[in-house]
Amino acid sequence: MPASLIRGVRVSAWRWRLAAGAVALALVSAAQAQLAVRDDRGATLRMSAPPQRIVSLLPSLTESVCALGACARLVGVDRFSNWPGSVRGLPKLGGIDDAQIERIVALRPDVVLVSSSARIVDRLEALGLKVLVLDSRDHADVQRSLIAIARLLGTPSEAERVWAVIERETQAAVERVPPALRGRRVYFEVDTTPFAAGAGSFIGETLTRLGLANAVPVELGPFPQLNPEFVLRAQPDIVMAVRPALAEMPRRPGWPALRALREGRTCGFASDRYELLVRPGPRMGEAAGVIADCLVAITARDAATKAPR
Amino acid sequence: MTATDARRRRRLAIGLALATLVLLVAGLAAGSDGWSLPDLARTWAGPDGALIVGQIRAPRTLGAWLTGALLGLAGAIAQGLFRNPLADPYLLGSASGASLGVVLLLAASASGGHAIGLATADTLARIGLVGAAFGGALLGVLLTLTLARGAQQTTRLLLAGVVVGVMLAAASDLVTSAVPEALRGKQAFLLGSTGYLGWGSCAALAVGLALTLPPSWRLARALDALTLGADTATSLGVALPKVRVALVGAIALATGLAVSQAGLIAFVGLVAPHLVRRFAPARNGFALLASAAAGGTLLLLADVLARSLIAPREVPVGVLTALLGGGYLVWLLHRRRVA
Amino acid sequence: MSGLRVEGVSVALGSTQALREISLAFAPGWTAIVGPNGAGKSTLLRVLAGLQPVDAGIVRFDGQPLAAMRPRERSMRIAWLAQQGEASGELTVREVVHLGRLARLGLFTAPGAADEARVDAAMQEAECDAWQQRRLHGLSGGERQRVLLARALAVDAPWLLLDEPTTHLDPPHQVALVRLVRRQVNAGTTVVSVLHDLSLALLADTLVVMQQGRIRAQGARDDPQLHAALSEVFDGAIRIERFGARWIVIPHVEP
Repeated sequence: MPASLIRGVRVSAWRWRLAAGAVALALVSAAQAQLAVRDDRGATLRMSAPPQRIVSLLPSLTESVCALGACARLVGVDRFSNWPGSVRGLPKLGGIDDAQIERIVALRPDVVLVSSSARIVDRLEALGLKVLVLDSRDHADVQRSLIAIARLLGTPSEAERVWAVIERETQAAVERVPPALRGRRVYFEVDTTPFAAGAGSFIGETLTRLGLANAVPVELGPFPQLNPEFVLRAQPDIVMAVRPALAEMPRRPGWPALRALREGRTCGFASDRYELLVRPGPRMGEAAGVIADCLVAITARDAATKAPR
Repeated sequence: MTATDARRRRRLAIGLALATLVLLVAGLAAGSDGWSLPDLARTWAGPDGALIVGQIRAPRTLGAWLTGALLGLAGAIAQGLFRNPLADPYLLGSASGASLGVVLLLAASASGGHAIGLATADTLARIGLVGAAFGGALLGVLLTLTLARGAQQTTRLLLAGVVVGVMLAAASDLVTSAVPEALRGKQAFLLGSTGYLGWGSCAALAVGLALTLPPSWRLARALDALTLGADTATSLGVALPKVRVALVGAIALATGLAVSQAGLIAFVGLVAPHLVRRFAPARNGFALLASAAAGGTLLLLADVLARSLIAPREVPVGVLTALLGGGYLVWLLHRRRVA
Repeated sequence: MSGLRVEGVSVALGSTQALREISLAFAPGWTAIVGPNGAGKSTLLRVLAGLQPVDAGIVRFDGQPLAAMRPRERSMRIAWLAQQGEASGELTVREVVHLGRLARLGLFTAPGAADEARVDAAMQEAECDAWQQRRLHGLSGGERQRVLLARALAVDAPWLLLDEPTTHLDPPHQVALVRLVRRQVNAGTTVVSVLHDLSLALLADTLVVMQQGRIRAQGARDDPQLHAALSEVFDGAIRIERFGARWIVIPHVEP
């Protein structure tokens, strides 16, 4: 970027000021070759060189590292990381609450990527490890994490590239959404209790982006536990859930009255697809595509049956 | 003194009956718009009246009372059988058994049809979580009885229950670490909810109550004799091992049914007998019946509050029973210190 | 001979041999079982009550094995009072005493007027009818003991086994107990009691002296050989003196 700026500037009487400025900038850049990355705690992580051994304790951060091309540098992941396939062979280091500190230390990582809800940050730092805390709750978080990790890897421009791909995929999905289903209200169930995904959740944002409305208003929070009566009264246009849950929905008292269930306006996801949808990571574009595919299928089913109004 | 005792019992009985009636009606008015009688009237008159009030609110309300009654009864039996005021119905491994059953079913269905045969998968789907929880609870208690080698001694039974509880919980953790998808469903089950209690569930719960309440009431005098000690009870001709097995069976059935329908709801089984003892100390015959009614009332109150406080969201009913029940116990301790 | 008898009974409790091949028959009237700590007195009483399974030998009642009797048959014939008051719970005094009637009624028969009358009589005998409606946990140790005694009396059994019935009782009530036992014996009940108070024990008709799981002596209260055995069993630490019409036992302390 500095080069393009300087190219466009006319050499003038201020040349010496410019030269001084260029030198200063160069010095700052040189200083920044000692990497400094700000994480979501507000702390700044400094490293002299990009890390070669990375431990990731959150699936979405694992996916981000791989999306940015540094999959080979991962030496350990948490137990829930399962994409891409190459990470399945890596040592599994526990979950959020029970990370295996000893094994993490034994792997001698240059940096450990964790989410802000992990409790082990202090202990890892006390043991001398460098920790980068990154949130992964919504779309903005994903973008920020990509930028931070890219800077950490010493390839800041990769973040833009990956984000551009995500945007492209998402936009393509948006355009695939059948016009008849635009603006329809979706009930996205994340748990059979029932817990629903509100408009403020990650998947809720994806749905909004696709031009769909949410049966759960945003005031109720990202994952509210609902009174089943609410869902029945809301009569959502489309119901989305994991396949087993969808299959047993008609057995719930009163739920056969849901028109969406009766008319087959449902999206039942296999559990790995479901994971893709709710995981705030670099596969968001693909997630949007999955939903778009389902909506297309619904429209096709509607057309095939040609149900009389 | 007789008059006072009898009067207190009468007052408690009337109080519980009234509270039950009031709360049953209140339950009909607790919906996704909060607690509102005008909303009840409107909904009832509207097109969805039969659906919302008749198929969702009514069975759920009744189901909450029946579940609480089963838990209260089981708690009273447990406290009498183990002669321990801190005993609760989950002591004999029923809770951990139910939990393991649920987790195994979730894990099996999460692994998909390829891990198990299609026919098995279909059967599993039909049994459902309810069947898995119920079966698991009964098997948990059976394991406890086996480990204690029959119901020869109460302490051995208690110890076996604790051991089985720990072992089954560990097995459950093992399964969830192998199949993490099962964990999600397990958490939901553990918190407890009356959300899906329909008329079918009410029927099952009512049958359960009919099967456990009368026999336990008939055996209440054995529990009275037990207050004098196991040896004295035996010397009075009470066939303690058989009585214990029968009562443990009642606890298992009642708890298994309650847990399978509404999840693991804490404190109801523990607190209901205490409430009864506090207001109207009596022999076990009255205490068992009153504990069932008290348990039903307690859970129903918690359920109505759970639905009304942050509508259309719900507070997990287990949280409210813990607050109400635990709060009462704290108050009780405070009173004991002061008095 | 009718009634309870043990033949060659041995009982091991954990690693201790509590009873070693005991053979004993009981005369009618009041028998007191005495002996130092660990002699096996309570264990013997429990064996007689059918509460303690034996490792060898047999217990008979009226000739037939006690273990073969149905629980209700046994409980109607033998009433047993525990040594420690393990009573807990919310029952009133009357309700506790009423539990004695379980031995006859069983769990499912409702009590009748005759049962109420027997409960009243038992409470009067044990002098606890004044506080019928009070709860057990509100009573003192001695009061509670009398209630539990009343419960044993309410069983109306021909055999009364009392394990340390004088625990917590003050002297007036110890005297009352002795009188109560006498009345029961006069009415035809056979009383077997474990007593650690030797002066009270020497008011019984027969004494059984035990030591380390064996019977050292059995005889009438006036029997000098019995007295000698008693003294020996307590290592000569006691003196048995005549006091009017009865015997008293004093600790033998060198001045």
